[in-house]
Amino acid sequence: MLNIENLKVAYGKAVALHDVSMRVEEGELVTLLGSNGAGKSTLLKTISGVNRALAGRILWKGQEIQNQPSHVVVNQGIIQVPEGRAVFPDLSVAENLRMGAFTRRDEDGVASDLEEVFELFPRLKERRQQLAGTLSGGEAQMLAIARGLLAAPKLLMLDEPSLGLAPVLREAIYRVIQQIYQEKGITILLVEQNARWALKVATRAYILENGRITMEDTGAALAANPDVQRAYLGH
Amino acid sequence: MVPVMDSLFLQQVLNGLITGSVYSLIAIGLTMIFGVMKISNFAQGDYSMVGAYTAVFVMAWVGGWLGWVGSVLAAAAVVGLLGVVTERLVFRPLMTRWTDIDMIMVSIGLFILLENLAQLFFGATPRMIDDPFGGRTINLGVASTSLLRLFCFVFAGVAIACLELFLNRSRMGVAIRATSQNRFAAQLMGIDINQVYRLTFGVGALLAGVGGVLYGTLFAIYPMMGALPTLKAFAVTILGGMGNIRGAIWGGLILGVAEALGGNYIAMEYKQAIGFFIIILVLLVKPSGLFGRKEGA
Amino acid sequence: MSARLRKILLWAAALVALFLVPHVVEDRYFMHIVVMAGIFTILTLSWNLLAGYTGQLNLGHAAFYGIGAYTSAILAMQTGLSPWLGLFAGGLVAAFFGLLLGFPALRLSGPYLAITTIGFAEILRLVAMNWVDLTRGSLGLSGVPLLTPIKIGDFTMQFYFERDYYYVVVAAVLFTLFCIRRLIGSEFGVTLQAMRDDEAGAQSIGINPSSYKLAVFTISAFFAGFAGGLFAHFARLVSPELLALHNTFDVLTMTMIGGLGTIAGPILGAVTLTFLSEALRYMEEVIKIDIRLIVYGLLLILTILFMREGLVGVIKNSWARMKGGR
Repeated sequence: MLNIENLKVAYGKAVALHDVSMRVEEGELVTLLGSNGAGKSTLLKTISGVNRALAGRILWKGQEIQNQPSHVVVNQGIIQVPEGRAVFPDLSVAENLRMGAFTRRDEDGVASDLEEVFELFPRLKERRQQLAGTLSGGEAQMLAIARGLLAAPKLLMLDEPSLGLAPVLREAIYRVIQQIYQEKGITILLVEQNARWALKVATRAYILENGRITMEDTGAALAANPDVQRAYLGH
Repeated sequence: MVPVMDSLFLQQVLNGLITGSVYSLIAIGLTMIFGVMKISNFAQGDYSMVGAYTAVFVMAWVGGWLGWVGSVLAAAAVVGLLGVVTERLVFRPLMTRWTDIDMIMVSIGLFILLENLAQLFFGATPRMIDDPFGGRTINLGVASTSLLRLFCFVFAGVAIACLELFLNRSRMGVAIRATSQNRFAAQLMGIDINQVYRLTFGVGALLAGVGGVLYGTLFAIYPMMGALPTLKAFAVTILGGMGNIRGAIWGGLILGVAEALGGNYIAMEYKQAIGFFIIILVLLVKPSGLFGRKEGA
Repeated sequence: MSARLRKILLWAAALVALFLVPHVVEDRYFMHIVVMAGIFTILTLSWNLLAGYTGQLNLGHAAFYGIGAYTSAILAMQTGLSPWLGLFAGGLVAAFFGLLLGFPALRLSGPYLAITTIGFAEILRLVAMNWVDLTRGSLGLSGVPLLTPIKIGDFTMQFYFERDYYYVVVAAVLFTLFCIRRLIGSEFGVTLQAMRDDEAGAQSIGINPSSYKLAVFTISAFFAGFAGGLFAHFARLVSPELLALHNTFDVLTMTMIGGLGTIAGPILGAVTLTFLSEALRYMEEVIKIDIRLIVYGLLLILTILFMREGLVGVIKNSWARMKGGR
């Protein structure tokens, strides 16, 4: 579904991604691991059309989408749940969710998706009129994911969904993501620092280091790899 | 306007509220543009000036209150269009290579250009808008005012109410608010940011244009008239917090009343400076404005 | 020929040329324009010092100009102070106001600073209009004394004709240039540029940006006030109009079009636009419409959009392209 070929991205003179190639097939949950500054967020931003690619191609269902404006990419169904939640602080929870469905024209579909999302995140339903800026970290993360779901994504990209959350909340987020994957069958690209869980649920996984893909394999295989274990699993 | 001696204070307050509502209108456009695009538009008052001149021409064609209402609508259309055009030609190219200096300078350039083009086309002689109500006054018990001025106040209120509806109920309106809060997240929602910019500027200019008609109804119309409303709009925006629309509404009313009272009780000559005193005071004490969040000036 | 020798020769040639101008050009009106161009050059150089080297946008620059003019005029007319000293007095008083404005300026940036400086100038302009006892209000002060004659031995230099003021203004511009170049080249100047490029980094090595910014504000104001004094004794009329916003806009437009942040830019901008303004005024007789300021506004917009580095940048690029072509 998503094919990235030889992608090169730079911020001014500083090259952030050198010749990155990877793919996400329909129905997969692909994990991208990497430490801070490896370029994970940059990659997602480039896929989403927020960053410019200097070279290389991004193919979605065979069509080139690199350097397309972001609203075009989103309209294709490629939805990103950004790092650090990035909710709209002065909009209510309900308004945030409606923004998630911005590109959709099917009112009925949106309504039923909203119901499902409230079932998945009952806390959000309670707080639907509350301003998103007043939510706790965990609630905001749930809102961000719910907002992403409301876009009826064909590919859902999650940038470090567990970042900055207490272990209990992290578990809750993981369970939700797993539920979304298994129940809805949405294709997922997951970017994480918490390797253990991310590799466990992954169909396939990549390691990104200093702007280059250094490893690619199934989730289980990478989890068993001693180098990976040392660098990312703290063994 | 007939001053009633024992309630002179209330009379001044009423006058101040009416003038203030016009300030609010012009300032809302400025604060919206700043909130969404971080642009300080020094040409905002010139948008008002164009609106005022639109009214002059419409009312020369269709007189009476029909002409006046028509000129408000015409000004909205003309100045809204002007806003969209200037956004695309003058401001959008700079959005990708941003510096504060450039943005301020280019809007100053626009300011100089517009007011001198107006001088060229319309001449320097001041114009007035004829009172479509023929000078009728209305007595509100504690104070009185002309029917026309009351209508200005009402119109300003209606315009602001329409804006609130737009920003809260319409798809693009909420999108504009979202973009002003987090541009990156707005892009991820599939919002076309360029469309947001265009709409923000169009609406911001439109409001200034309508405000210009009202301003021109209250005061004289001449090519250089844009400078004062610009500065007052900035005063109001800073008072209310840059980007804060509620703040701009309240700020405008406060400035209007402060000017009326200050001009009357302190010194008439320095009436125009009251706005500046307020700016300087607010910036020294609470830079984020009365209603602003601590985002740092 | 060494670079240094070439530079000295160029300067010498320029000085000679400058000296000869009034001997070649007889037209008084032309001299008048040249003097005004010189005064504007001092204004642009001083504004540029603040905006180009510390990034602070002072939209109240005209206030310093007006303060300098009023100070020198009032001192000459009320106390009989020599106008020559009045020039420096005007500069000093303006510098004081510069310091005054500089303090709140430290805490403000971008549009907030811009608006505060506009407000500062407007308030002072209103004071000039209303403090009639001191300033005669909107009537202004007329009959400001000329610069008093200088006697060197048997030779007396009078300051009556435009060409006499031409020499004074050229000397003033050179003096301003000299001071600014020394400043920029000194340790102070190097620190300034470090601050401009990376304020946080500069702070981390112990530099206190505030004192630098205040100093530059004061110096900028001094030269503007000095220029104001020159104007007062040249035009012999001082009015609140001098503090008006459009004067600052003129200075700002000249600097941007010439090239912000350079030394040649303000000079180029001031001279070019003063002469352009006159050319357009002349054209007005022919085409019957006044398009001077329309051109100003348009040029400012076009400069920022298409030639951000100003005329200096355009010249540099053409020069580089010509050299590269060979």
